[in-house]
Amino acid sequence: MTIGFELTPEQRDLQALAVKFAREEMEPRAAECDRKGLFPEDIYRKAWELGLMNLNVPTEYGGSGLPLLDQCLITEALAHACGGMTTSILANCLALQPINLGGTPAQKERFLRPFCAQYHLASFALTEPSGGSDAGALRTRAVREGDTYILDGEKCFITNAPHASLFTVFATVDPQRKHEGITAFVVPRDSPGLTTGRDEDKMGQRASSTSTVRFEGVRVPVENRLGAEGEGFRLAMKTLDSTRTPIGSLAVGIAQAALDHAVRYAQQRTSFGKPIAEHQAIAMKLANMAQGISAARLLTWHSAWLVDQGDRATLESSMAKCFSSDMAMTVCDEAIQIFGGYGYMRDFPVEKLLRDAKLCQIYEGANEIQRLVIARELLKRYA
Amino acid sequence: MHLIVGVKHVPDADTRLRVDPSGTTYDPDGVKFTINNTYDEATLEESLRLKDGNPGTTVHVVSVGPPRAEEGLRAALAMGADEATLVEVGTGTELDPLLTARLLAAVIRGIPHDLVLVGRQAADDEAGQVGSALGHYLGLPSAGYVTGLEVDPASKRLHIKRYVEGGEETLGMEFPAVLSILKGANDPRTPTLPNILKARRKPLRKVPVGDLLPALETWPGGAKPTSRVTAFQLPPPRAGAKILEYTSPEEAAGKLLAALREEAKVL
Ligand SMILES: Cc1cc2nc3c(=O)[nH]c(=O)nc-3n(C[C@H](O)[C@H](O)[C@H](O)COP(=O)(O)OP(=O)(O)OC[C@H]3O[C@@H](n4cnc5c(N)ncnc54)[C@H](O)[C@@H]3O)c2cc1C
Repeated sequence: MTIGFELTPEQRDLQALAVKFAREEMEPRAAECDRKGLFPEDIYRKAWELGLMNLNVPTEYGGSGLPLLDQCLITEALAHACGGMTTSILANCLALQPINLGGTPAQKERFLRPFCAQYHLASFALTEPSGGSDAGALRTRAVREGDTYILDGEKCFITNAPHASLFTVFATVDPQRKHEGITAFVVPRDSPGLTTGRDEDKMGQRASSTSTVRFEGVRVPVENRLGAEGEGFRLAMKTLDSTRTPIGSLAVGIAQAALDHAVRYAQQRTSFGKPIAEHQAIAMKLANMAQGISAARLLTWHSAWLVDQGDRATLESSMAKCFSSDMAMTVCDEAIQIFGGYGYMRDFPVEKLLRDAKLCQIYEGANEIQRLVIARELLKRYA
Repeated sequence: MHLIVGVKHVPDADTRLRVDPSGTTYDPDGVKFTINNTYDEATLEESLRLKDGNPGTTVHVVSVGPPRAEEGLRAALAMGADEATLVEVGTGTELDPLLTARLLAAVIRGIPHDLVLVGRQAADDEAGQVGSALGHYLGLPSAGYVTGLEVDPASKRLHIKRYVEGGEETLGMEFPAVLSILKGANDPRTPTLPNILKARRKPLRKVPVGDLLPALETWPGGAKPTSRVTAFQLPPPRAGAKILEYTSPEEAAGKLLAALREEAKVL
């Protein structure tokens, strides 16, 4: 089979739509939202109106039904304008993916269709204060009583939680059973006993909103359980297998923005009688940045392509996420260095990029965990 | 109601043009093309609003242009047009505004049309001739500088607002008719993601220009252009900025005021 890198006319159209939205709607507001920690819901609403929000939900339920590669193209284009806004726009894909993957047709009809028919936000609630990496050890309890489960516990760092109308929640029916006890539920925001905490004051991605979610005797009907009891851990991992790659694209988008700023600045700024881009030390930096970005982009495309072929792509998606986010940190760091003192100032755009990029190394599985996964998959191949 | 909208694929307003080696046009190499020239986009939006407000209305977009103009038509389909026809011309074909109007008229004759709408002028050659010429070749009444439009499909009547020097004119007309639009009432819509995907599956017919030219031989004006561009130049570069020397803010403001008043004559 041949390998093709050429985008289809449809993919170029989608990319152009995202570029236009990013440039016209997101970019002009990015700096202000970052500085003041504003959650620009009007922008998210517009993204929904244009079909840029529920990218992974099948069209029959009102989503955009896009292959992962197309989702990645859109994500990279949006992230070029603002990583934080992109995280909040993407959060629905993460939160709804367990329903896409584990829901019955009746559940999809009941949860996805009304959700996608209007502007709504959803949150994926897995991480807990006691630990995110070791998801098998989560403590939120789900106790069955007749036809309902009663949820008690607390989640933390949950994207969009203060504004979400739907939560996919992972809780355990039996902590003794570790992974085997974890079960997934769809929980509407208006369920009595569900409360969200204050909006966290974050280092970066400040146009996104993040908070704790508390469950105190929250009653969830059995029909809201996704899959069987004990299938939640696998469902969460399968979800993350397909949502990790766009996080790589998000990092690539941020890095590309850093490179674009850096090149333009380096061509204008002069020292010792010539543009700093003509000093070899700066030129080498730019070359390295460009190489890293290209390599990372290709990793995300390859991983997305594998997923679209029906492959699990655990190894490749971990590589795409881990490599791209590490690359983005290096590239943003170099961009600040190229800007010199101005790079350290909030009035210039590059320090924000570094703060935004940092999150990509942490969420959706910290990079240490990605490396564990990569090594495990790698060693299996030599066993 | 069947609406026909003529669009032209023109260089994006942000593109820097270069003169091509012939010296009679711009070099298309590296130029980004679009249909988002103010007049065509407003015309399309106006037509789509008529479609939204009058169930059963169809919008058919038509363009005369090289193969790349298909992308412009796809963009119009993504905004909501129903079908498209491209009169495809090769790089060797010479066109002038009146031949373009004859070609458009020749295809439009074969398509049901109650209203034919075009932008007041194309954003590249700014000739502004196609609208009225199209009315002539189709044998239909036409109106130009249209800024507002209401349609009563039952009585086949149009109420048109036109820009006239220093004021506005309201005109009653019957259709079929040809209108050239100066500006629309609304911001042109951004195509949504599902509509962009749908646009690739909507019918787009390509008519080679050679299929139409023989029939034009007997038309007034014939199958050849009747005017020819003999030279194309870019505007001379603007004179450089002037930097004022000063030692105090008061002096700077004074010098600036004097310059604005006496040299730029804007005050
Ligand atoms: C802004 C933001 C938004 C988020 N959004 C969401 C969301 O929407 N939904 C959600 O469920 N979660 C979300 N998270 C949580 C995120 O996924 C977790 O923070 C992440 O998984 C790490 O968990 P932790 O913070 O508890 O760190 P810990 O698990 O405590 O890890 C601490 C450090 O130890 C390392 N470490 C842990 N175990 C190992 C090991 N075995 N080997 C080597 N190193 C190890 C980690 O890599 C990390 O560096 C979000 C986080 C942030 C900051």
